[in-house]
Amino acid sequence: MDFDTNIRLAVYQHFASTGQAPSLAQVAAQLTSSEQDVRLGYARLRANRVLLLEPDGETIRMAPPFSGVPTPHTVEAGRQTYFANCAWDALGIPAALHQPAVVYSSCGQSGAPLNLQVRPGGPEPSPWLFHCQVPAARWWVDLVFT
Amino acid sequence: MLFFRSEELVNAWCQARGIRPRPLVTMAQLWELAVAWYATRLSPEARRPGPDEMRRIFARVGLNDPFWDPQADTFG
Repeated sequence: MDFDTNIRLAVYQHFASTGQAPSLAQVAAQLTSSEQDVRLGYARLRANRVLLLEPDGETIRMAPPFSGVPTPHTVEAGRQTYFANCAWDALGIPAALHQPAVVYSSCGQSGAPLNLQVRPGGPEPSPWLFHCQVPAARWWVDLVFT
Repeated sequence: MLFFRSEELVNAWCQARGIRPRPLVTMAQLWELAVAWYATRLSPEARRPGPDEMRRIFARVGLNDPFWDPQADTFG
């Protein structure tokens, strides 16, 4: 595998096992590489829309569907709690983990709580809806806003 | 990208912000999108769908509105 693929896998495996973003030092240590090389890899992965970084170039804000910061969309799978970037990613986490999960979120207008059981084949039947304000062509213009 | 309990609540949310409602997605459709985007994300072969593949995925789950076109420039 190429270096950037190894970085991506290290980042995603860390999210999957801990629910949190790895530090630059943790990824560099796992890959027995320099932090500078990993930082350059992060920049390439950002350019390819794999990661979203904070302005420091080393703090991972998003490795979709995982969020590096707390959000109103949480997912419990196994014994781990994860933060999702948005409603889409809240279902994306059980899809990525291939594990049963419970999605906790709320209605964007009323604030009513959502507690959705997700099995490997998909979520339980639910009348809830998903709404996206930003057209697909502009999602990555401001991914945090999207 | 938010969850809503009903279409009425989506409309109220949009009206409060002066924006028009976008196409609604059911939970079953959203799951299909989540799987298409993320089911291989933890594997070495993972990659984001390209524009043509995105169009096929959206069409497959019944989302044919130009809103979902990854290269459309007709929405503000």
